[in-house]
Amino acid sequence: MAKIEIDGRSLEVAERTSILVAAGGAGIEIPHFCAHPGLVPEGTCRMCVVEVEGAAKLELACSTPVREGLKVTTESPRIREARRGVLEFLLADHPVDCPICDKAGECRLQDYYWDYGLFSGSFREGKERREKLLRIGERLLLDRERCVLCTRCVRFLRDVTRTRELGVFERGVRSEIGIYENTPIASGYAGNLVDLCPVGAITDTSFRFKTRTWFLEPRPSICPFCARGCRIEVDYHPGFARRSGSEGIFRVRPQIEATPRGPWICDAGRYGGLDLEPRRISEIVWNKGSGASTLTWEKAWSLVKAKIQALVDSSRTDRMTVLLHSGLTNEDLASAKNVFEAVRPRPRIRFADPPLGEDDGFLSTAEQTANLAGARVLGFDLRPIVPEEIGRETELLLMFAGPFADRILSGPFTAAIDPIRTKVLFTSVSENLSGSFDLVFPCALPFETAGSYTNIEGRRQPFAAVRFPRGEVKTEGAIIRAIADVFGLNGGQPEGGS
Amino acid sequence: MDVKILSRPLDQAGRRSLEDYRAAGGYAAARKALTELTPAEVLAEVKAANLRGRGGAGFPAGLKWSFIPAGGSSIKYLCVNADEGEPGTFKDHFLLSRQPHLVLEGALLAAYAVGIHTAYIYIRGEYEIVARRLETAIAEAVREGLLGIDILGRGFALNVYVHRGAGAYICGEETALLESLEGKRGLPRLKPPFPASVGLFGKPTVVNNVETLANLPGIILHGADWFLSLGCLKDGGTRLFSLSGAVARPGVYELPSGTRLRDIIFTHGGGLLPGRTLKAVIPGGMSAPILTPEEIDVPMDCDSLAAAGSMLGSGGIIVIDDSVPMIVVLDRIAKFYAHESCGQCPPCRVGTSWIRRIVRRMAAGGRRPGDVDEIARLAGAMMGRTLCPLGDAAALPLLGLVRKFKKELEE
Amino acid sequence: MTSRFPESLRTRILELLNRFPDKKAALLPALHLVQNERGFIGPEEEAAVADLLAIRPIEVREAVTFYSMFRRRPAGRRLLQVCANLTCTIRGGERILDHLRRRLAIEPGGTTPDGRFTLIEVECLGACDQAPCLMIGGTLHGSLTPESVDELLRGLE
Repeated sequence: MAKIEIDGRSLEVAERTSILVAAGGAGIEIPHFCAHPGLVPEGTCRMCVVEVEGAAKLELACSTPVREGLKVTTESPRIREARRGVLEFLLADHPVDCPICDKAGECRLQDYYWDYGLFSGSFREGKERREKLLRIGERLLLDRERCVLCTRCVRFLRDVTRTRELGVFERGVRSEIGIYENTPIASGYAGNLVDLCPVGAITDTSFRFKTRTWFLEPRPSICPFCARGCRIEVDYHPGFARRSGSEGIFRVRPQIEATPRGPWICDAGRYGGLDLEPRRISEIVWNKGSGASTLTWEKAWSLVKAKIQALVDSSRTDRMTVLLHSGLTNEDLASAKNVFEAVRPRPRIRFADPPLGEDDGFLSTAEQTANLAGARVLGFDLRPIVPEEIGRETELLLMFAGPFADRILSGPFTAAIDPIRTKVLFTSVSENLSGSFDLVFPCALPFETAGSYTNIEGRRQPFAAVRFPRGEVKTEGAIIRAIADVFGLNGGQPEGGS
Repeated sequence: MDVKILSRPLDQAGRRSLEDYRAAGGYAAARKALTELTPAEVLAEVKAANLRGRGGAGFPAGLKWSFIPAGGSSIKYLCVNADEGEPGTFKDHFLLSRQPHLVLEGALLAAYAVGIHTAYIYIRGEYEIVARRLETAIAEAVREGLLGIDILGRGFALNVYVHRGAGAYICGEETALLESLEGKRGLPRLKPPFPASVGLFGKPTVVNNVETLANLPGIILHGADWFLSLGCLKDGGTRLFSLSGAVARPGVYELPSGTRLRDIIFTHGGGLLPGRTLKAVIPGGMSAPILTPEEIDVPMDCDSLAAAGSMLGSGGIIVIDDSVPMIVVLDRIAKFYAHESCGQCPPCRVGTSWIRRIVRRMAAGGRRPGDVDEIARLAGAMMGRTLCPLGDAAALPLLGLVRKFKKELEE
Repeated sequence: MTSRFPESLRTRILELLNRFPDKKAALLPALHLVQNERGFIGPEEEAAVADLLAIRPIEVREAVTFYSMFRRRPAGRRLLQVCANLTCTIRGGERILDHLRRRLAIEPGGTTPDGRFTLIEVECLGACDQAPCLMIGGTLHGSLTPESVDELLRGLE
């Protein structure tokens, strides 16, 4: 540890920490473009200059490590002059697209101009026109006029994903970032580039022009799309009072402490929730022989209650099968365990999960659900089901599919369960094969539930809901409580559950 | 042109062949070092000679060598900086072409002193013919046991490879040179760490200029005191001055450190071309701030030129006569640095380009009031703010020029 | 891809690898070999070099576009590189460039319609004592006058 002083404040910091990181830890923000907590210091933007006692020249905070007795000043007229100089150079050729740029409100160029600029530009030589809509990834566009050549994007792909799809071409002021031929960024982590870019050069087409950043509230959560459990921020728009439909989730980003491997999330996690939204269902559907109709919760639930009651009355609750999935929270799983294991004779309680994917060697796990470890700890029977067996031995099927219906239901599966007299599906998204169920209830999407997941490393991570389901849409937890009511049990929630 | 080739009668030895070189005493210093001296003794002699780097920075070679950590990694590298891109400089071209073995012997001495067994000569791509001659010279030396394994039967090994650059002035900066040698874009690195600790392929590396190395055989044969005695003032040795521009006898002149600029131009260089008058002189390659005719009595050594507000740099003397409008000089300077900026840091990348655009407009007749002041302001905003010295190299001559010739530029 | 390089070129590039602990260091020498043989370095050549050096094509292009001497498209049979820096200007370099522009009827950067000559401006060639200079291939021609330029062009076939 080293005892240092920053702006007169005494701090104790681990040796070899950079001044930039040390200051940040003490709440002192030193401006920078090219430095990033997940990347090695670069030292090219020249913005993070500070005064170090004993040094004649200004030093870079990002690449100067602390040592015992170091005294640093982060603000002074000389420092302000240097930072103003950097801004003046960057803004000289900058298009200043703020009115149409998505980054406005979270752009370092804007923020630093406010803090260190506020000058009238004197550049009169005609700004360089460059490519503004270069497609570099499935959802990524590069605007070379806005690019400040901090090279964070290039370095991320070179050092973190090691896929190196971006390079810097040419030299001097003609330098430009680009892909090779038409090979786009396809590493599965492309979305991180939008977060990384300190200005609006790299934009996300799923976010472009949809809202303004200052309307968004970042709400912390845990990614539900694999077992890594990356800590995320869900950017939520609470909605304008007079504009219906303006409420919603617009974006998902990693927290600074997203994972032990850095402030990144994979694209499946980043876009998973957004991609589900257009597919969500919000009505209860009753598939009778003569066609489908929508029902109210009361009517639909009375049908389910009747079926459950019939089995209870004839002591044949062992002919009831409940299929859960390991995307359910620890609290909902515990609740389900308490409810169904209290029933005699015991219903069959099994799990139908989406098939395993591939561990990508970085963040994305083979398990496609967030809480398999939690389900294990609770002691559920997690063996793969044999659909034919279930089809033969079940009269009432209650299947919780969460957002995974399209990956769990299949032709063979639905054929195997066809003999079941009454089939009820709880799903958040529409899916063709759900038509083979008698009753389809819409349930909440990820981010609409509170609870906790236990990730692949055994860490239990709690989270609050970002928003709440509306209308006939219920959380799976609420549905489980409703089932508990049918059996005359309380909700079975552990203490302090929501 | 009375050239001695670093003060020994080597020029009379004829051109490049190994036989001629040895007949004139070549490789005697290498033999002395490898048979009679320890590496530490070689280093000590060079340090005592205070041999300043001849590439432009003037950093003492012996001191640079001593930064290589003792013990540490057994793999170390020597990079010979033959990138010579500083406009007005052609003395390394001359040396490598006339006496490649002198440079090779110098490299051998440096490698012996520091414990290096692999050397790369990074030579600018445009010197293609010289590069081939160097390769031939190396092959000759290897055949004669003067390079390669078991040199002079003393068990010391040094492999030397010629490595051509490809047209980037910035690769003359030592860390950019290393990046380029590693196959990357020639982008200067942050210092620290310095090449002596983390250099080529991450190993301790010495980077020395061609002329610097060419001085080593003389120092080892005749001693540090001899070397010091050759100079006029504090700096020892002779220097190869590249004289060009509006002079009667352009060329490379080997003269004592500290020779006055006036003497170089008028005594040795034959003065201005007929009918021309001296207007200005750039004393140390394009990066050196310009001098007026009143300032040419300055001794050509590092300290004297620094005191005069300029620098010795690469010793490239460009003589400008009264037929050359200063806007043309300004234009060539602005164009050069904008073209050669690597682009990593905003002050240099944008600064050189912005200034280039102002100057181009001025040269095309579109000058506006305040242009010259704006150039000075921008150059001042680049000074000391860039990642590598190219920013200063771009800014200093512009500042000097607009200050000393403001009136003419504003007409 | 590498089968597109003739065996001799491929061998020479592979031999370079022995000089370095890291294959990528052979990039600039390899590109010089390729350009000497092919005249330029296009996507096919980038892919072939990348393959031999076990690096990605994008890394090859980064180098090709950074260094002024590498060409991405074929040039004329003779590349006339005229120095436009300070000393050459002082000694009449602009006049030489103008003469070439008129004689060949092309602008700097252009190639004559018959494919014989490409004219480009370059920075200091390190031969200022022979200013004004131009370079063709690796050969320097100095102390130029419009007359000596004409003679030079006549001699080039």
